Amino acid sequence: MKKQIIKLDINNQIYEVMVSPTDLLVDVIRKQIGLTGTKKGCGQGDCGACTVLIDGKAQLSCLMLAIASEGKKITTIEGIANQETGELHPLQQSFLDHGAVQCGFCSPGMILSSKALIDENPQPTEEEIKHALEGNLCRCTGYVLILEAVESYVEALSKGEV
Amino acid sequence: MNILHEFEYFKPKSKKEALELVKSKGSSAKVLAGGTDLIIQMKEKMIKTDAIIDISDLEELKGIKCEEGKGAEILACTKLVDIEFNADLKKKYPALTYAVSQLGSNQVRVMATMGGNCCHSSPAAETPAPLSALGAKVVLASLEGERELAIEDFIHGNRKNALKEGEILYKFILPEPVKKSACRYGHIGLRNAMEIDCANMAVNVELEEDKATIKNVKLVMGSVSIKPLVSEAVPKVLVGKKLTDELIATTGEAAQSEAKPISDVRASAEYRKDVIGALARRLVKEAYEAAKEA
Ligand SMILES: Cc1cc2nc3c(=O)[nH]c(=O)nc-3n(C[C@H](O)[C@H](O)[C@H](O)COP(=O)(O)OP(=O)(O)OC[C@H]3O[C@@H](n4cnc5c(N)ncnc54)[C@H](O)[C@@H]3O)c2cc1C
Ligand code: FES
Ligand code: FES
Repeated sequence: MKKQIIKLDINNQIYEVMVSPTDLLVDVIRKQIGLTGTKKGCGQGDCGACTVLIDGKAQLSCLMLAIASEGKKITTIEGIANQETGELHPLQQSFLDHGAVQCGFCSPGMILSSKALIDENPQPTEEEIKHALEGNLCRCTGYVLILEAVESYVEALSKGEV
Repeated sequence: MNILHEFEYFKPKSKKEALELVKSKGSSAKVLAGGTDLIIQMKEKMIKTDAIIDISDLEELKGIKCEEGKGAEILACTKLVDIEFNADLKKKYPALTYAVSQLGSNQVRVMATMGGNCCHSSPAAETPAPLSALGAKVVLASLEGERELAIEDFIHGNRKNALKEGEILYKFILPEPVKKSACRYGHIGLRNAMEIDCANMAVNVELEEDKATIKNVKLVMGSVSIKPLVSEAVPKVLVGKKLTDELIATTGEAAQSEAKPISDVRASAEYRKDVIGALARRLVKEAYEAAKEA
């Protein structure tokens, strides 16, 4: 199969990778670039484990051709912590503080979906949070804690605490 | 299963270039908009294609025009989230923006397009029923020019539509809602989000000057036939009448009598018929009440 070199902008870093047109973004991120925070669950768009931010919006890397994401800004879960200090993003910290992480498989997707929502709408209602997280499934079913983690971050944000 | 059959990838930089590619590649190529149907079909080996023509980033195919008194135009590659959260569309066509908000999940709506939803032409699709109830038309474009079709003439059912080789779906045209009219959409699935509808429906009611007598009604059912089904029986029941509980009940029966649902993994035909009755009763009432205020 004809491979070609493409440039992907992931977490503000440019990666040159050799891909074939059939390669899906999730596989390139995990296997070629080695950022395994992005998970692959269903591969069918149903579970949201593979969620990444593309130009700031939550999208499914299992349904995205890597070649089609050239020229876009991709953010994975590794990219939201403070790159210099390594300090977790306050939304990540809120997930830890609320015990919203059990096995952790859904967490990167949950956090990125929540972040995309809050970046656009800093004061979402509970309904709006639920609507934005519909596409992220948690097999450990910690939905209540996840919701609390997001709401607590929203509150801290509105008080200027984070 | 997650391995895609080999294909060549093209990313045209203009609508014209896209149309040239669509023409020259013919049936060996598939257009990629959001990919939320196409990539899955390729993964499941339901389709094989030698070429992909990626039109997802073509600005010429994206955008919403919705001005006072002038209906609306939605270009085919507009992302569903941009339709869902467009305040002007939400005000003028709440049935459509609500239907869009019920499709898949946020991530799916960020990626997917209304063009893709209609071109996929699945019987269970979310947007064809409200588009049809609202009297929407599609504009198909090719190098030769454009042609316009009513949405119900565009979708032939079971993943077939009126697109000819060399054509793409270019845009949707929605007429300005007439005075004293309102449209409502509803669907029933197995869970709240991310389900494939076991039935959906849109109802558009227009009232006479007296704000009570029904002048026109269009009821469109999804998922109960191979393509969106426009009811012929319901207008016969309702036009020229004022809505009563008895008429609401008859409306439900009329819609049920026309639906030809199948049994599948999602629901039995019998259950689907019940759902159609319930949706028809509820939506006719809701649209009627809303039309009084419109
Ligand atoms: C998890 C998940 C949940 C879903 N839930 C729902 C749901 O609840 N309701 C629902 O209706 N759908 C649902 N879908 C299906 C899908 O998301 C929608 O049908 C979507 O609108 C398709 O749009 P797209 O842009 O992704 O299309 P694509 O996959 O890019 O294209 C679909 C088909 O249309 C053709 N096409 C696309 N655009 C054009 C054009 N402009 N001109 C000519 N041909 C074109 C393509 O070649 C392809 O054959 C779901 C999908 C997933 C993955
Ligand atoms: S792996 Fe992409 S949605 Fe499940
Ligand atoms: S924590 Fe295990 S899947 Fe959500």
